[in-house]
Amino acid sequence: MKLHVNGTEAYAATGGKEFDSSLPTVLFLHGSGMDHRAWALQTRWFAFHGYSVLAPDFPGHSLSKGEPLPSIEAMGAWLIDFLQAADVEQVHVVGHSQGFLAALELAHQSTGVVRSLSGIGTAAAIPVNPALIETAQVSAEKAADLMLQWGFGPQAQYGISAVPGMQPIAIGRQIMSGNPLAEDLMACANYEAGEQVAKTLDIPSCLILAGKDRMTPLKAGKALASVMGAAVTVLPQYGHMLPVEAPKPCLQALREFIGSL
Amino acid sequence: MSRSSYLQADTIALHTGYQPESDHGSRAVPIYQTTSYVFEDVDEASSLFNVEQGGHIYSRITNPTVAVLEQRIAALEGGSGAICTASGMSALFTTFITLCSAGDHIVSSAQIYGSTATLLRHTLKRLGIQCSFVAINDQAALKAAIQDNTKLVFCESIGNPSLEVADLEAICATAHDQGVPVVIDATFATPSLNRPIEHGVNVVVHSATKWMGGHGVAVGGVIVDGGNFDWQASGRFPELTEPYEPFHGIRFWEEFGPSALAMRIRAESMRDLGAAMTPHNAFLILQGIETLALRMKQHVANAHQLMHWLNEQEMVSWVNHPDLESNETNAIATRLFPEGAGSILCFGVQGGRAAGAAFINALQLGSNLANVGDSRTLVLHPGSTTHSRLTAEQMQDAGISEDLIRVSVGIEAFKDIKADFAGGLRAAQRVAEAAK
Repeated sequence: MKLHVNGTEAYAATGGKEFDSSLPTVLFLHGSGMDHRAWALQTRWFAFHGYSVLAPDFPGHSLSKGEPLPSIEAMGAWLIDFLQAADVEQVHVVGHSQGFLAALELAHQSTGVVRSLSGIGTAAAIPVNPALIETAQVSAEKAADLMLQWGFGPQAQYGISAVPGMQPIAIGRQIMSGNPLAEDLMACANYEAGEQVAKTLDIPSCLILAGKDRMTPLKAGKALASVMGAAVTVLPQYGHMLPVEAPKPCLQALREFIGSL
Repeated sequence: MSRSSYLQADTIALHTGYQPESDHGSRAVPIYQTTSYVFEDVDEASSLFNVEQGGHIYSRITNPTVAVLEQRIAALEGGSGAICTASGMSALFTTFITLCSAGDHIVSSAQIYGSTATLLRHTLKRLGIQCSFVAINDQAALKAAIQDNTKLVFCESIGNPSLEVADLEAICATAHDQGVPVVIDATFATPSLNRPIEHGVNVVVHSATKWMGGHGVAVGGVIVDGGNFDWQASGRFPELTEPYEPFHGIRFWEEFGPSALAMRIRAESMRDLGAAMTPHNAFLILQGIETLALRMKQHVANAHQLMHWLNEQEMVSWVNHPDLESNETNAIATRLFPEGAGSILCFGVQGGRAAGAAFINALQLGSNLANVGDSRTLVLHPGSTTHSRLTAEQMQDAGISEDLIRVSVGIEAFKDIKADFAGGLRAAQRVAEAAK
């Protein structure tokens, strides 16, 4: 659906059902350069099983208009406005990678809005090699290639797909190449408050982490879980792009966690 | 590497889409000879039917063995996904019928395979889909042919049997300027020689029966979604941008973006048309793809040797191959096919159709049959067979002369191919001299 946030049109996928703010709502937040399609195989299940779903494209990404947000803090602030525009008072938040940093900021900057936090393939800080940012400033396509080669685990590199016949690397490449990847990477690189924010939150949380994650290594994810007191699910054979690489076990972990609250 | 994989093409051909499965460790891709798949529970079944998760329901729609082939070909071509079909023609029909409805229009190259021309000219017309045929490298003509209701521009990357090479970048620029996607039949090229998506093409179709299999034992087709066309911005494709009632009003473009077309084909056309590839055929074609790059090198090398040898023979009146300077599209071929523009060549013998028939009938090693891309050398007289349904004018537009003999050059030792063709030319000479 389309809605206006601070006067600018934003798009949010609703999992194939009309959005109904009276239902418990799950907010899905994509990672750097990606969009709502990262969640294609999680959102529909929630939307058809008693929840309402919002999976926005951050400003300037894919189907949302406007300029990309310059910082993780700005993403948190934008999410508050976005939820107000959608008339949502409380949400379960699911974030992948950078999306989870934005989720932390949403929780930090608001009161009583975040009912639970689920992080997938993430850490308290996501440092980015300056050379990657420089590459992204010149060519999002080249930077996407570097990230996807690094980000997808070994099975995906061998063309194994959860959706028969599809090639997730090509899909990710096409989406990331058209989005403001450099701005996202800079926002990640500059965000240093993650651990401190995580320590202050008293919200039910879970982390779904990948054993072969080379972008937010398992060790960093577990450290964040320790700080937050979060439940942890480790998927040993997958890489950083968990929502796409391992949609079924991700969905299962989310169903169990959110369903238990 | 391609746009879909960071492995090299030779590695993709052997490994992509399959890793040894956990139960038995089978190194080869298993043949999942099953119609259907047991659901874990009712909820899982419901989720699969509602596209809430990926997985297999019924082998008309997806099958694990077929999926390996699809993912492998998608990776070889650099596409976002692929759908295998029962044949190359069903791949074309499925593509056209997914993108077009009654009242829509297609612009096609005039120089294409005879059955495809018949599909576009006659069969689709019965369904209310019109087609205009143009000289595909004439960009002014192409631009002029595109109408408000045009849904796609179609051509073959190497035309059958005229061997006209399509200037992919120019065609894409003209079509995309008007919000129209480009669909290519790349059967003669294979991804070993040219990857059309890297040149801007949006959908690539193959008859996998041909060089991909190479063995001539399995019929199959494939549609590769390039994932590089903005169906929303085009404004011409409500099939992909507006709600689709049978799946709770799903909007394929919003939901799947770069794989929207592939998902629509899967959800609608494979379900409703049922032109599925069998798992056994998928397995056979996988065996061929493992050696595709090696075979294409030998195919092209033999084709080059044969075209030069034929050019030196007195009985041969003309020879055509895109890599010959005399071919009108040689400059395009040189640019798009640096490793050689395939292994189909055409030639005519002095003495016309009767001498040509004598040539074909005299061959021992070369087989006279209606196929191309077999590892064995194949010959055919298109005017009497594949293109026999065309009128004289349509034959001329398609670049087919009465004396044209089409050769699909195999990978046998060239010395033996040459000896066989020399015998054929002697037989043709006898007929030609007797007619004088």
